[in-house]
Amino acid sequence: MRGLSRQYGDVRAVDDLTFDVPAGEVTGFLGPNGAGKSTTMRIVMGLDRPTAGTALIGGQRYVDLPEPLHHVGALLDAGAMHPGRTGRGHLRIGARTNGIPLRRVEEVIEQVGLGQAARRRIKGYSLGMRQRLGIAAALLGDPKALLFDEPVNGLDLDGVRWIRSLLRGFADEGRTVLVSSHLMSEMQLIADRIVVIGRGRLIAEAPVDEILRGLGGQRVRIRTPRIEDLQRALADRAAVERTAPGELEITGLGATEIGDLAHALGLPVHHLAEIEQSLEHAYLALTGESVDYHGRTPSYLNGAGR
Amino acid sequence: MSTPIVLARTGSAEWSRLWSVRSTWIFAAATAVVVLGFGTIMGYDVSGDPTGPGPDATAWDGGRFTAMFALFGVLAMAVVTSTADHGTGGIVPTLQWTPRRGVLLAARTGVIVATMTLLGVVLVAGASVVVWAFRPSLGLPFGAGVEALAELAFVYAAGALLAVGLGLATRSTAAALVSVIALVLVLPMLLAQLPYEWSVGLSARMPGSGALFLIFGEGPRDDMTTASARLTLGLWAVTSLVAGGLRLMRTDADR
Repeated sequence: MRGLSRQYGDVRAVDDLTFDVPAGEVTGFLGPNGAGKSTTMRIVMGLDRPTAGTALIGGQRYVDLPEPLHHVGALLDAGAMHPGRTGRGHLRIGARTNGIPLRRVEEVIEQVGLGQAARRRIKGYSLGMRQRLGIAAALLGDPKALLFDEPVNGLDLDGVRWIRSLLRGFADEGRTVLVSSHLMSEMQLIADRIVVIGRGRLIAEAPVDEILRGLGGQRVRIRTPRIEDLQRALADRAAVERTAPGELEITGLGATEIGDLAHALGLPVHHLAEIEQSLEHAYLALTGESVDYHGRTPSYLNGAGR
Repeated sequence: MSTPIVLARTGSAEWSRLWSVRSTWIFAAATAVVVLGFGTIMGYDVSGDPTGPGPDATAWDGGRFTAMFALFGVLAMAVVTSTADHGTGGIVPTLQWTPRRGVLLAARTGVIVATMTLLGVVLVAGASVVVWAFRPSLGLPFGAGVEALAELAFVYAAGALLAVGLGLATRSTAAALVSVIALVLVLPMLLAQLPYEWSVGLSARMPGSGALFLIFGEGPRDDMTTASARLTLGLWAVTSLVAGGLRLMRTDADR
């Protein structure tokens, strides 16, 4: 994506967004509600038109791809299907448009575990079954890239584990995977790299490990009874914060360097560890100022009414 | 991938899309029941009439009286099928599978218009056969039949185009149905009843008046001709399709 923007009246849903989704990795696409994730994905798929910029898949716009289902499989909105059609009928239509043999329809029905439900009308499907049907449609053309918007919505644990292995398998085969989710624990498990956007703008783009370490600001926690001596020694080398009696958190130096320094100064060290954040904490730190829609905690839950 | 191949595949998919939902079968069956039912009533009526409908009358003329019912069935089916994708959100997978919107427009319009035209013509022909069965002396002359059915085919094709265009332009089944009924039935009748020359003139330029003239040979003004009726109906159909096509081609794929 290069300089992608989309304006809806006064609202800039996507604002000069530029990032790459490399092959062979699972790229997680994160952002608060209204950040522009779904709009970005819709623009990539040619459903919405960008106000500026381009989104290319293998160097081509989606609309220019011959037999697009062989290039990209996308799940954007699991509810976006005719409820009066059977699951199998829905998939057969998709297969016909791209010259895919109808036996492939039966293969993907089995692959996603729809089985006998494929003969039923979609209006009788649960959200999870619709999700599986949407994934089946995305897999029809055995595509080189997958683009999933909230794929685990409505799936049971078995389905979530299946999605996890599916995405991992695709990436391991050298294919491209872009997946958005609000489930940070899930994203931490499946994503190799993360793209975070807020208010339509790129906030961060980095491998998951780097995001967890704080985007280049690796944090280390150390405990020593001679806290003043260590703080003085570190003051001109890194950002130091006293977080508890006898405890410092240091940003900008690794645990090895800090340990060596303490050893050189003859300081006893009772605890030394790199602080690994959860993706949820890292995400909240990154998007804190970009959240447009905040919920309010009822007073009876925070004790104000007691 | 060449455009003809993509168009053929998309046309095949549109055909499946049309017939893989129950509403299409229900509309077709309901239209058939109404048209053939009125054919039966017409046939029963002429069979019991000792003087007969006239020396030049054929069974095709009896069938022609059912043509308006077939037209409303055709219009309703075309509206429902052309708006279904937007009403259900199905436009999202549709445009993922066929991102070339011009191809989708051509395939969708072609399949709906061809199917609706064929359905209308076959049902009216069936109604004519029913009338003939009640009174074989009326006859079913081949030449008169081709002429009558060809004119009806034009009416149904133009009507289906009008409905598809309005469906694509409004993206709403309710709005498109109201628009079609207003243009084909309500406005032509209403304007023709007003005591003004301009309103009668305007009524003659409505698509419903064009269709009515081509079916029954009568219109709100005496100076209407077959050519003017065809031109009126054709222009409305093309204009509507252009409006719907532009909406499909140039705007986001919203519900």
